[in-house]
Amino acid sequence: MTTASVAPESDGGYNVDVVGRTDNSMVLSMGPQHPSTHGVLQIITEIEGEIVTKASPEIGYLHTGIEKSAENLFWSQASTVIERMDYLSPLTNALCYYLAVEKLLGIDAQIPVRAQRIRVLVSELSRIASHCVWLGTGGIDLGALTGFFYAFDVRERILDMFEMSGGARMHPNYIRIGGLAQDLPAGFLERLDAFIEMFEPRMRDIRRLLQKNPILQDRMVDIGIISPEDAVAWSLTGPCLRATGIAYDVRKATPYSGYERYAFDVPVRTEGDAYARFLVRLDEMDEAMRIIKQVRKELDEPGPWQIPDTKFAPPPKETIALSMEALIHHFKLVSESFRVPAGDVYQAVEGPRGELGYYVVSNGDNRPWRVRTRPPSLYNLQVLKKIALGELIADMVVMIGSLDPVFGEVDR
Amino acid sequence: MPSSQAPPAGHTALDPTAVRPDIADARIVRVTPREVRATLERLRAEGFTMLLDIGAVDYPGREPARFDVVYHLMQLPLQPASVEAIGAPERARVLCGVAEDAASVPSVADLWPSADWAEREIFDLYGIAFDGHPDLRRIQMPDDWEGYPLRKDYPLRGPARERTPRPSFALKSNVAAGTPASGKTAAALQRQIAQARGRSEFHGAGDPAAAAQSAKQPGGTLTAGDAKPEQLAQQPVNTKTEKNTP
Repeated sequence: MTTASVAPESDGGYNVDVVGRTDNSMVLSMGPQHPSTHGVLQIITEIEGEIVTKASPEIGYLHTGIEKSAENLFWSQASTVIERMDYLSPLTNALCYYLAVEKLLGIDAQIPVRAQRIRVLVSELSRIASHCVWLGTGGIDLGALTGFFYAFDVRERILDMFEMSGGARMHPNYIRIGGLAQDLPAGFLERLDAFIEMFEPRMRDIRRLLQKNPILQDRMVDIGIISPEDAVAWSLTGPCLRATGIAYDVRKATPYSGYERYAFDVPVRTEGDAYARFLVRLDEMDEAMRIIKQVRKELDEPGPWQIPDTKFAPPPKETIALSMEALIHHFKLVSESFRVPAGDVYQAVEGPRGELGYYVVSNGDNRPWRVRTRPPSLYNLQVLKKIALGELIADMVVMIGSLDPVFGEVDR
Repeated sequence: MPSSQAPPAGHTALDPTAVRPDIADARIVRVTPREVRATLERLRAEGFTMLLDIGAVDYPGREPARFDVVYHLMQLPLQPASVEAIGAPERARVLCGVAEDAASVPSVADLWPSADWAEREIFDLYGIAFDGHPDLRRIQMPDDWEGYPLRKDYPLRGPARERTPRPSFALKSNVAAGTPASGKTAAALQRQIAQARGRSEFHGAGDPAAAAQSAKQPGGTLTAGDAKPEQLAQQPVNTKTEKNTP
């Protein structure tokens, strides 16, 4: 390539004319190994001086074909890969997927109350754990290293509880079809009480450390402003949408798993900048704790934690050695799973990043025909193309951090 | 686990959306690619301001439209609104059937900027083109990728790796059934099984020099003494069966 005039489409498809520029602009590729891109995001930016004139995020570096894998697994096995999408709140993914499958099976009204309560509990714990990662890493992007340790301490305690309940810290696979994998183990509630005890003082510390921090405010206030019209046009949901003043929350709009029984507020700000998103998420952590406290009061009451129908939920282990029928059902579930009546359904839940949706299609077989995820991060991240324009290149990391993308979900 | 899903047979439905059970989760509209843009514009004017998602589903064998492009819409106000003002927003689902030979749909990226990446993803994974899209190129897969991975006739592990079955699968099904998938694969499997059983009958039988060489190299490469594919196809593969038959 000797000439200076290169056609835009010949430079790797980025639609950026790298060579042959006559003005003072330049093209800067940020990522995919940049530490502040929260994973593997590449942004091809055009800058004039320090001002961004065009930003094109390039995704797909973490594409693992999860939706294709899910189509080739049994209905009950698919959640193992589905939990890997939003790896910061895996139980929210599993919950949404199973709610959709339960709707297709027509057993959504039979889920025991205790299972629903525990599902709400782990959803809200996931929300806090996920926001802790955002808080910690988002602070590091801005040089606030200390907050990271406070936030990750909270997260570690939640992951310890997940380990108790499901056996694994990151991907517990605790929510199952028709209920849960098992009841809360002995000692869980004591640990939960200790967590509730430590959470509020710890949040006070975090707020004192970060919220009023003048350096943090200088970096975040009036950065990456999104108007309500833009937020709707770009399909933003979750804290990014609520920071523009639109109080849309799936837990309030179309409640699931008994969320309508709990009193909680939807934190809203109207500024629409990175600081507003920061405050909305901090307030959401407090609201999540409010729900957890209400659920905690109900958890002393024992009860069934999965549907009695052993065609979908595995029979209790101790009955397998004694009952022929239990053995048969267990064998059938493990060897060929269950069949789901044909149909399609869209189910949404409020994940930590916004409306997480699953469009599940069954053709009547024992494997899902299609599991389409509506990943909130994908749409939240896309707005970067718009809000980065005219901002300083140094504020790019602030904007990415404030949108809180998870690349397991963006790329799937 | 099948590596690619066969078209639904017998008990399964060719078009699940047509026999859906009674789940009233949205207003459902079924359109053709020619009507889809007008329908979406009309719904947008009705207040379905948010395009939640665009997905696609492949129903091989369904006529005339093999694919469904599925638009999920929701009614939301465009200005700050409280939880009570939003209430339970109405949802709509627009299913647009697309034929395989003319797999293209008008783009809605000018109506909703968020449609940009969603349409690129469908183009990438299903090969459905969107007319009028500003920047239609692959998004998840590499730019030089061939094929459309989410189509049902695309093998799960990709076309290149599909020719080499996983050893654990091969031992149980492919080899025991005596139907090697291809010559080279079969030879590799025979060698592997022979090693696992501590025998060398498939390593250059009749050629002691080659057998000694392959014994030195446990992971050895294909030697001249290895059985030819066509011989393998005739040869009984399961040695146990061989012993039992008189």
